[in-house]
Amino acid sequence: MPRQIDLKKKLDQLRAFHRSERRAPSYSEMAELFGYSSKAAVYAPVRKLIDLGYLKRSAGGRIAFTQKATGKIAILGTVQAGFQSPAEEELLDTISLDEFLVRRPESTFLLTVSGDSMIDAGIHPGDLVLVEKNGAPKNQDIIIAQVDGEWTMKYFFRDKSGVYLDPANPAYSRIRPRGSMVVGGIVRAVIRKYQ
Amino acid sequence: MSKAAPLMLSSFPRAIVHVDGDAFFTSVEQAIHPHLRGKPVVTGKERGIIACASYEAKARGIRRGVSLWDARRLCPELIVLPSDYETYSIFSSRMFEIMRRYTPEVEEYSIDEGFADLTGMRQVFRKGYREIAADMQAAICRELELTVSIGLSLTKSLAKIGSDFRKPNGITAVPGNKLHQFLPNIPLSNVWGLGPNRVQLLKKYGVMTAWDYVCRDPKWITKLLHKPGLEIWNELRGTALLPINTAPWRPVASISKTKTFTAPSSDCHFIYAKLMRNLESACIKLRRHGLRAWEISVSLRLKDYTESGLTARLDRGVTLPQEVAHVVRELFDQLHAAGAEYRATGVILARLEDDRSRQYELFDDHARTQQARRLGEIIQIINGYYGKHRIFLGTGLYLNRARKNDRDEPCWRKNTLLKGETRRKRLKIPLRNIKI
Repeated sequence: MPRQIDLKKKLDQLRAFHRSERRAPSYSEMAELFGYSSKAAVYAPVRKLIDLGYLKRSAGGRIAFTQKATGKIAILGTVQAGFQSPAEEELLDTISLDEFLVRRPESTFLLTVSGDSMIDAGIHPGDLVLVEKNGAPKNQDIIIAQVDGEWTMKYFFRDKSGVYLDPANPAYSRIRPRGSMVVGGIVRAVIRKYQ
Repeated sequence: MSKAAPLMLSSFPRAIVHVDGDAFFTSVEQAIHPHLRGKPVVTGKERGIIACASYEAKARGIRRGVSLWDARRLCPELIVLPSDYETYSIFSSRMFEIMRRYTPEVEEYSIDEGFADLTGMRQVFRKGYREIAADMQAAICRELELTVSIGLSLTKSLAKIGSDFRKPNGITAVPGNKLHQFLPNIPLSNVWGLGPNRVQLLKKYGVMTAWDYVCRDPKWITKLLHKPGLEIWNELRGTALLPINTAPWRPVASISKTKTFTAPSSDCHFIYAKLMRNLESACIKLRRHGLRAWEISVSLRLKDYTESGLTARLDRGVTLPQEVAHVVRELFDQLHAAGAEYRATGVILARLEDDRSRQYELFDDHARTQQARRLGEIIQIINGYYGKHRIFLGTGLYLNRARKNDRDEPCWRKNTLLKGETRRKRLKIPLRNIKI
């Protein structure tokens, strides 16, 4: 079967590169971008994208983006100088994504998730969790804990007979710590970045 | 004055704490990598010399400054890590942030130690100074998972002695009415500001402890050690002379950038490239603090650790590497011995002044200066976006000529990049190495 090339994906990857670097990638950078081990493999999708008018070959043989790929830059027109614009004033009460996700910057850590025991809570392997080290966990909080020497991420519950941890995946079972349990922090947010 | 007589009757007319991180760099590593807890860990792999040793490593006789080769012989299972100053700095600023919950007057003295003035805070927290200090210590330990030692007393000098008195994870409170019991236990070498030379000098006069020191006539102290000696005398007697400096740290005297190569080299292009990279780094720091420099020093360290240096005064204050590149070339050519093996280069910018006010020299080429500044600003903007040293002086192309060896291994965080991070720019939140 001939190799299928997902041109849409390639184009998205090239656009992302352009957004962050403001230039076209070299052949070897494209190979890395597409996950190819050889530069020669890049040639086929590049030729297709040139045919479709997304890329062009510049004077020195280097690949350049066309406007079709990068989009046009809109020009807003003349902006009045002088008084502070009302828009700026309205923005004083907005918060950044940082402030939105991190309540206590001095006690928040990042962890990369590797297991799938919280998958039904929407936390997948590869996700990042923001963990706050301050404060005591309440029922139903998702926490990071070290139980009998092993680190785990689970729902936290407390009942009459003590503390227990529940997974969000039927393949795993409830943990009642017999020996020691150290709370490593409370999960405050999950981040999944696609590219 | 007899030993039994107290210096004062009140306990805490002022309450200054000194917070000192216990084996800070390795403690941060153990907080990030919990599996390293309880194991002998050292940092400084990239330099070949130990920068910090964990308490487990110290127990095996491994100290800061020992070569890695000697350390591995003392302890074959030693875990040697490359330094990760970025993460240490994040933990450092978090430590000061936690201290500021207890008082606004906090001085960031160095990456792993700080002072705080708690005077008057008893009313706010409805507990004693010692209890407030203990709360501070517990919060740092709980939220950063590392221990600090705290000294609480009347002055910065006394607090600093206190934090060193019980380590690790200790608290030592020395109220004014207990000074006469505490100071006789303190050897002079533990007193802040008394270096080995002064200690030896004082020994000749029979001054062995901090108590001996404060019992001497201040006139005698002044005659022997001048004003700084008298300042220490007052500080040790509980009279605070050194202020808590809450301003963010700013270099006043000089900015220095010295980098040791991972392996000694005799390639003069490579050595010069390293030197110019130090110049660029120093200038970046210079501009970040809004300063300009009127003096530049260049130093080269040979393989056998002998060092030679040269200093040049400049005819105007500079902020950009391009402005002094030719001076550095000249100094380098005078210092460098062909064929010799070098292990480090350094650049020191001195005679610093504020760069906000700008005076033009009569004979300055005004247009060219303006052009160079504009270029510098643009490079700064580009590097600010893409990461440090993305645009660099052409000499930097020789940097890749060095042989790679195992000391070049980047730290874990630089090898564990999240989507969207680069080798130059990462999130300002520590990533913990825990498998969940």
